[in-house]
Amino acid sequence: MALLELKDVCKTFGKLEAVCNLDFDVKKGEIHSLIGPNGAGKTTVFNLITGTYPLTNGKIVFNGDDITRLQPHQTAQKGIGRSFQGTFLFMHQSVLDNLMIGFHMSCGAGVLKEFLHTPGARKVDDECRKKALEIIEFMGLGTLKNELAGNLPHGHQRALGVSIALACAPTLLMLDEPVTGMNPTETVEMVERIKKIRDTGITIILIEHTMRVVMNVSDRITVLSYGKKIAEGLPEDIRNNQEVIEAYLGREEK
Amino acid sequence: MSKLTKITLGIVVILLIIFPLFSNAYTVQVAITTITYSMLGLAFAFSMRVGLPRMDIAAWWGVGGYTTAILMKDGMSFWLTALIGGLIAVIIGAIVFSIAIPRGMMAFFIFCMVLSMAFYQIYGTVKFFGGWSGIVNVPVPTIGAFEFIAKRDIYYMGLFFLVLNGVVYYLLYNSKIGRAWNAIGSGLKLARSLGIDVVKYRMANVLIGNFFIAVAGSYFVGYYRAAFPSIFSFAAGLNVMVYLIVGGFSYSLAGPILGALIATFVPEYLRVKAEYQVIFTSAIVILILMFLPFGVIGWVDQKVRPWLSSQKWYSRATKSA
Repeated sequence: MALLELKDVCKTFGKLEAVCNLDFDVKKGEIHSLIGPNGAGKTTVFNLITGTYPLTNGKIVFNGDDITRLQPHQTAQKGIGRSFQGTFLFMHQSVLDNLMIGFHMSCGAGVLKEFLHTPGARKVDDECRKKALEIIEFMGLGTLKNELAGNLPHGHQRALGVSIALACAPTLLMLDEPVTGMNPTETVEMVERIKKIRDTGITIILIEHTMRVVMNVSDRITVLSYGKKIAEGLPEDIRNNQEVIEAYLGREEK
Repeated sequence: MSKLTKITLGIVVILLIIFPLFSNAYTVQVAITTITYSMLGLAFAFSMRVGLPRMDIAAWWGVGGYTTAILMKDGMSFWLTALIGGLIAVIIGAIVFSIAIPRGMMAFFIFCMVLSMAFYQIYGTVKFFGGWSGIVNVPVPTIGAFEFIAKRDIYYMGLFFLVLNGVVYYLLYNSKIGRAWNAIGSGLKLARSLGIDVVKYRMANVLIGNFFIAVAGSYFVGYYRAAFPSIFSFAAGLNVMVYLIVGGFSYSLAGPILGALIATFVPEYLRVKAEYQVIFTSAIVILILMFLPFGVIGWVDQKVRPWLSSQKWYSRATKSA
């Protein structure tokens, strides 16, 4: 059953066709990777799904709802969470505070109760903190919960980005290059976590350049090149696909 | 809030309450204007939290001021005029800002400057507001038979408004809405991806600010008992930036209050002539930006905190109460 469907999606920036005639669907509960050389349009696809960029043409359906015209905060409210390619974090706040902001949608008493600081609101706040700590522990950042996000090493910042997206309690989690900047050990740990996240019922779309990771973790892979889909299928099929190899010119990072 | 913060706050409040008993009427008068400017400064810091530097504060200050002046001359109670002034500022704000806020920070910034200048012109040219000479002989604010004439009484009234303002802002900052505001101020793209409706939250912030800016206007007219356009000029609205810079831009509550205190008292006591006020204030701002870029509070924080942290009594006292 398709959780997310992109139908004939097109995005042009002036004369540049970033994405063209893209038909793309993601099944519930799968880990679906989106790969392709730099500039292929992968992050653009993410931005189209979340509504950061308006579509030039086409339709996007999520869980039966047409989300084509929705704005980023609205797609987030529908249950689509994402991490970013650049490190977007609240740099001057602690890891824990970053997570607490992530709980904006999914945890918290009403605005009035929070303003009046009722005992009920404080209790809910404590519960949110507990949930935040669970996610922090799960992502391996347990010892760093009071560290300022800006002070973390790059790999941990990436992990924090994923944590914040997880805090949204998303139905669909879109990860944009989550292991870039991580050493081999951290990469292996992150891959395990991605699998565990999928096991909790969250569907995952993954943009990655590290082929080892992509082949290891994906249920299905879609390959983009110059904004067009050139291949789609199981990892074994993609690995041996001639067009894909040509598009990458044998680009394997590790 | 830690024990130390609570104790310090308690001491400050006590000092503020007994202050008029040890001061002459002139000093109390300077304190009254400082309180007004503090409230305006708090509002500027308030909107800075969501990444919107607002240059329109003088406009809404005027809304409150003129509402009080006009309605009190008609016999209405001061307190009711303050409430009405606040509500008018919110309603007009909701209409005009629905144009500006969705268009982002730069559009909002310029829109506010234009708003401030436009309101100034309206106050001066429209007969209803008394023209360029404004409205004078506004009645004295009263509670029952008690009249707020003595400077000391007006000071305490101001303290009431300031504390109310500060407490409301504090509660908002430390709630879900405050966290959403912080997110908007530190990372717009990230905030959106977490389901935060940036336009809605910014609107709420600006409108709440409008209410308290108007109340500050009502208070000022309650003290001054006159309202004319040159009080609510665009330049007056610019000064709020100075308070935040002097106090420390990352301290949204203490920064503007301390900044207003310094920027108001220092020129008064150095007997800076009126013509040189602007040059003097500009010099202060330049010096602060050069030597204390994080403001006075920022400097104290950086110098004093490391030494304090090494003291045992400090770590015991700062454990969250």
